[in-house]
Amino acid sequence: MAPPTAYLASVGTCLPGDPVDNATLAKLVGVDETWAEMFIGNTSRYFAVDLATGQVRHTLADIATTAADRALAEAALEPGDIDCVVMGTATPDHLMPATVNLVADRLGIDNVPTYQLQSGCAGAVQALDVARTLLLARRCETVLVIGGDVCAKHLETDFDPGSRTSAELVNYVLFGDGAGAAVLSTEAMGQGIAIRQVLNRLVGLGREPGQVIDWFGLGDRHSDRTAVMEDYKAIEEAVPVMARQMFWELLDDLGWGADGLDFLLPPQLSGRMSDRISAGMPAPDARRINVVRTVGNNGNALPFLQLDELLRRWEEPGRAVAVAIESSKWIKSGIALERS
Amino acid sequence: MTEREPIAVVGLDCRFPGARDAQEYWSLLMDGRDGTERVPEQRWDADRYHAPPPASPQSTHEARPPGRTNTVRGGFIADPDAFDPAFFGIAPREAAAMDPQQRLLLQCSWRAIEDATLAPQELAGTETGVFVGVMANEWAYLHLTDYDRITARYGSGNGYFMGANRVSYHLDLRGPSLAVDTACSSSLVAVHLAVNSLRARECDHALAAGTNLIMTPVINIFYAQAGLSAPDGRCKPFSAAADGIGRAEGVAVLVLRRLSDALADRQPVYAVLQETGINQDGRSNGITAPNRWAQQQLIESVWRRAGLTADDIRFVEAHGTGTLLGDFIEAQALGELTGGRSGGSVALGSVKSNFGHAEGAAGIAGLVKAVLALHHRTVPPSRFADDENPKLDLAGRRLSLLKSPLRLPSGTVHAAVSSFGMGGSNAHAVLATAPRAVHRSRHTAPGVFTVSARTPERLRANLLAQADALSRRPENQLAQLCWTSNRVKSRLPHRAAVAAADLPTLVAELRAAAERAGASRKVDGGRRGAPSVAFAFTGQGAQHPRMTASWYRSCPSYARHLDEIDQLLAPHTGVSVRDLVLDGDAEADRARLAQPALFAVQYAMAAALDEAGISPSSVIGHSIGEFAAACTAGALDAADAARLVARRGALMDKLPEDGGMLAVGLAATEVEPLLSGRERLGVAAVNGPHATVIAGDADQLAAVEKELAEREVSLRRLSVSHAFHSPLMRPVVEEFRRECADVSDRRPALQVYSTVYGRALTGEETLDAAYWARQITEPVRFAEAAGALLADGVTHVVEIGPRAVLTPLLARLRADGDHTVSLHSAHPGEHAPAHRPQQLFGELWCAGLTPDWSLLYAEADRVPRRLPPYLFDDSFRSWRSGGAPERAEASAPTVPPGADSPAVPSGADRGESCPPAPAAGLPDSVAALTHQLVCRVGGHDPQRVHDHDRLHEDLGFDSIRVMELKTRIEDALPQLGPLPIEDLLANLRTVADLVGHLRGRLADGAAPAAPATSEGTR
Repeated sequence: MAPPTAYLASVGTCLPGDPVDNATLAKLVGVDETWAEMFIGNTSRYFAVDLATGQVRHTLADIATTAADRALAEAALEPGDIDCVVMGTATPDHLMPATVNLVADRLGIDNVPTYQLQSGCAGAVQALDVARTLLLARRCETVLVIGGDVCAKHLETDFDPGSRTSAELVNYVLFGDGAGAAVLSTEAMGQGIAIRQVLNRLVGLGREPGQVIDWFGLGDRHSDRTAVMEDYKAIEEAVPVMARQMFWELLDDLGWGADGLDFLLPPQLSGRMSDRISAGMPAPDARRINVVRTVGNNGNALPFLQLDELLRRWEEPGRAVAVAIESSKWIKSGIALERS
Repeated sequence: MTEREPIAVVGLDCRFPGARDAQEYWSLLMDGRDGTERVPEQRWDADRYHAPPPASPQSTHEARPPGRTNTVRGGFIADPDAFDPAFFGIAPREAAAMDPQQRLLLQCSWRAIEDATLAPQELAGTETGVFVGVMANEWAYLHLTDYDRITARYGSGNGYFMGANRVSYHLDLRGPSLAVDTACSSSLVAVHLAVNSLRARECDHALAAGTNLIMTPVINIFYAQAGLSAPDGRCKPFSAAADGIGRAEGVAVLVLRRLSDALADRQPVYAVLQETGINQDGRSNGITAPNRWAQQQLIESVWRRAGLTADDIRFVEAHGTGTLLGDFIEAQALGELTGGRSGGSVALGSVKSNFGHAEGAAGIAGLVKAVLALHHRTVPPSRFADDENPKLDLAGRRLSLLKSPLRLPSGTVHAAVSSFGMGGSNAHAVLATAPRAVHRSRHTAPGVFTVSARTPERLRANLLAQADALSRRPENQLAQLCWTSNRVKSRLPHRAAVAAADLPTLVAELRAAAERAGASRKVDGGRRGAPSVAFAFTGQGAQHPRMTASWYRSCPSYARHLDEIDQLLAPHTGVSVRDLVLDGDAEADRARLAQPALFAVQYAMAAALDEAGISPSSVIGHSIGEFAAACTAGALDAADAARLVARRGALMDKLPEDGGMLAVGLAATEVEPLLSGRERLGVAAVNGPHATVIAGDADQLAAVEKELAEREVSLRRLSVSHAFHSPLMRPVVEEFRRECADVSDRRPALQVYSTVYGRALTGEETLDAAYWARQITEPVRFAEAAGALLADGVTHVVEIGPRAVLTPLLARLRADGDHTVSLHSAHPGEHAPAHRPQQLFGELWCAGLTPDWSLLYAEADRVPRRLPPYLFDDSFRSWRSGGAPERAEASAPTVPPGADSPAVPSGADRGESCPPAPAAGLPDSVAALTHQLVCRVGGHDPQRVHDHDRLHEDLGFDSIRVMELKTRIEDALPQLGPLPIEDLLANLRTVADLVGHLRGRLADGAAPAAPATSEGTR
């Protein structure tokens, strides 16, 4: 029996609260608006925490549940129709229980396999990879895939705006919170978009992490380790190269030509970086789908936000390729979609 | 529709042993828990009718002593004696005379309809059918024995034949209504009849129900005498350990509709009944014996009519009584059909394994299980499956008794349910998963959540239940959940409404509302006549930047009306007043535009409210507000009004800005003397007995202001561009009169309270050119006009305008005149929340009006979502315990909270040889002592701890507290000796259990004073 095809049935997303623009950031945390616009290129982002009061308004489980519920509604499915849940996140609400299981509980999903991947920017693709593999193996028929991140833990809201270095302020401008979800099915639901390939490779051998997010417990909560560290230089150098490699690998694997691509979903680091990386990917006729400029870098949610935008704009048969690079221990990943 | 139209299960509610509602039922099933327990003392004295199984198998005859059963266990529902008579308007005495089955059916029906996302009141007067399966008539055995005491109530209270009629009566359902008795298949037969009735269009909704309460040991004794009773009181279907039937109780109601109707109404569907069928085994091998051929033929024909074969059926919920013969015949009949199946086996199970055989409710217990399994796409395991009876050769028949839950695949899945009656009436049903339906929701739309109840106390409980359920829902369903609450839960007299734009706020506000619920006012359900609503239109000065912009965003109807009036104004104003308002343009504050802007906002607001069914019977307008008032009253066309208002504003705008207005805390008569000699001043408005506005020339006004300040009169300068309603306005009067010349002088359709006349318009009076011309310079006689309005008995006044200006004035007049009118401001001012329209609708509804909620929601948000059903008051208790018939005794109809009232039959006074109640005084002291210790250990208020409270769930007893309690009990009752902690943790759920347990131990060993136990059974 030939393996089934995995289809992207629907996408749902959730961005918490109202968008926070650079002017607001300038007021609340002392970021220079012009600098933010020029060097990072993001104009707004969303936070689960109310920056003005420091009150955490949403958990990752909250926004992931909403995104997933929207994906289910979009696909006309009930929670009982889902026979597997896979979630990727770098910032789970707890180390235990896994957020995926809290989301399943909120949705009313039970008695199915669930997986949570501890993952960065490639997490959404990794989760899609797991889901598709299960579908192709006929282990499941309808899988809910979720990605999301909430950085409230890393946002200090009660400091003197003048006291921060620009390296610290970058994070406020760059990152944001959000969640996305997709339903994958062996049945051609929705727009009948087939997932032709998902690739996902660790390429970190001997390479220093480009990003570290630490965690603390009772024993080491007073340690002076940095909670969040980025090596922006390394990221700026390595990501464009890896993105190009993944782009070509996907095309070669499927025997697709770069000319035949209708949509390209490039890695979403920041508004400015994504434009640069996107320009460096040789798909002449492909429309680029960049979202990070307005939604902020919300990690595992980004590819879903791109897919959401893709579904809105995709009206004809055609092909699309998405690439995501994780710069922590360096993972390159990509996904190829076809609408017939 | 076709003859075989699928029937949707859209709502359900149930109570089974170990499960107080559908959610608990599902977890009982999924956890494979045992719902049986020792016969509660309230039912009958288990020991008295118990004879243990024979020591040796030979002594069969002696094993069945007459009048005895072989078990002390069964499946009993919790609190069968509780009922909320006031909710249904039933007198306590009548409720006490009603078979508890009727009471439970009523409550379950109400909840099931709510679960179907319908308001039960919505079905009132419709041809909704009620089909109730019932075979237990034990109430009659207990209640109808004393002929001299039979009153009219006794007949209508008899559940057996009145169960269905009782539901139809109280819910005013006019379709077929019948009780069905085919013995143990009764409730599935009732479902079959309901399905046929829906297909035949006898009814559009049907309640299909089953009920069974065990009030006497009669059937236990019968089963035992017939050799059918399991000694452990448990059915062990298809198990090697199967040794007979254990009896169980249950009540369940399903709400059924034709699938096409349910889908058209976007109702959530649990599962679909594809086909049902019934037959009889005729002159079979004995009237009580099951018949393999009849079962097989029935199942085969139902499957064939559904267009299915054994290959399509994923699981079968079997009758499965757990008698060796019954199991064998059922396995054979099913196996004949499934044995040749391709693919794997068909899953098999029976809910009887969880709590026993619910007799009249057995079929529906299995059906509800199958419906929930299809809904959750998981089939619960069957208890005792790990000890399968090898003689049944289930594997060979391609039947697989489920030892663990079975996850169902995607797509359409089919299930079958069997229920067989003792006399040979068999029933079978085939179900399918619900079809997919798209319900997209708008992102983060606001809504207003409504909860209503019969009493303030229930309002509190229901608010908390809703808050708990909502806290676990996905955020984006907010508007849909709110709309559902409006649709389902907005008809009872004690009300609370919470408007919110996000779920966490909604949940928090519902909890806060619960705190205040005790003070909720009762809304008169229209019995004292329809409400009479007045709209009061604010005057100039109420405008502010972006006024009511939130209405434009969150009330589509308001937006439509504002667009409409904006178009009518534009030719006269030259700009879009709407845009000025929404953009917060400062231009909108000048007289030229302020008057049209205010008019536009008021016009749209009044039209939106009118469209929502908040229709005024009278209007009053303050100054410029009289124009929108006249439109609402039908005295002016919108187009004419738009032209006049624009012209009026423009004329006044051209006047020199040399005037002012001053509000003074004096009566109009006290103001008059101040004006004499000051020709360019006048009284502009009389707003109250001590609230007058003077307007006119700035210099003269300053002089008056100085004079009054010296007299320490309270004063306030109004921030206005001109001195409206003053002599300074005279120059524009004639031109405006000419502008009004062609205005029609038709009679208003509503009562108009004129603030020019200070009274209601009478007879042939109209709002003609002369009126509008005069209106410019005349004082606004608001106090008099409003006084007349209130005196005429209006019940609600809604201030129409962007700020609450008239509302406080009206509040003062209300207090002065001792009126009971309810006052509301449509938009209190610039600090009103973004979801003010939602809030206002909630406010008006709490005040007794009935808005059309749909206006607040986009079409995509008008999707019903299930909410927890009503929580009834359970403080009323009434029961009859089942001793021997002639000794049945009713417990007191109501039990005061916290009182200890065991309903043990008292037979002692008859001198019969039965185990007497424990020594006098002891039970009460044990109960009181236990109660006291529980309260002490848990820190509970003794008034709030009841016998039925569960130690863990209700009273928060964790293992540490239980240990402490154990120690205290041992100290207080040293004669008990040490209490094994395992017993306490494993067996004792409620305070009553604990009391019973302690009494048992005292009677067993520690109470030498108590007489020896009964005759030879030990």
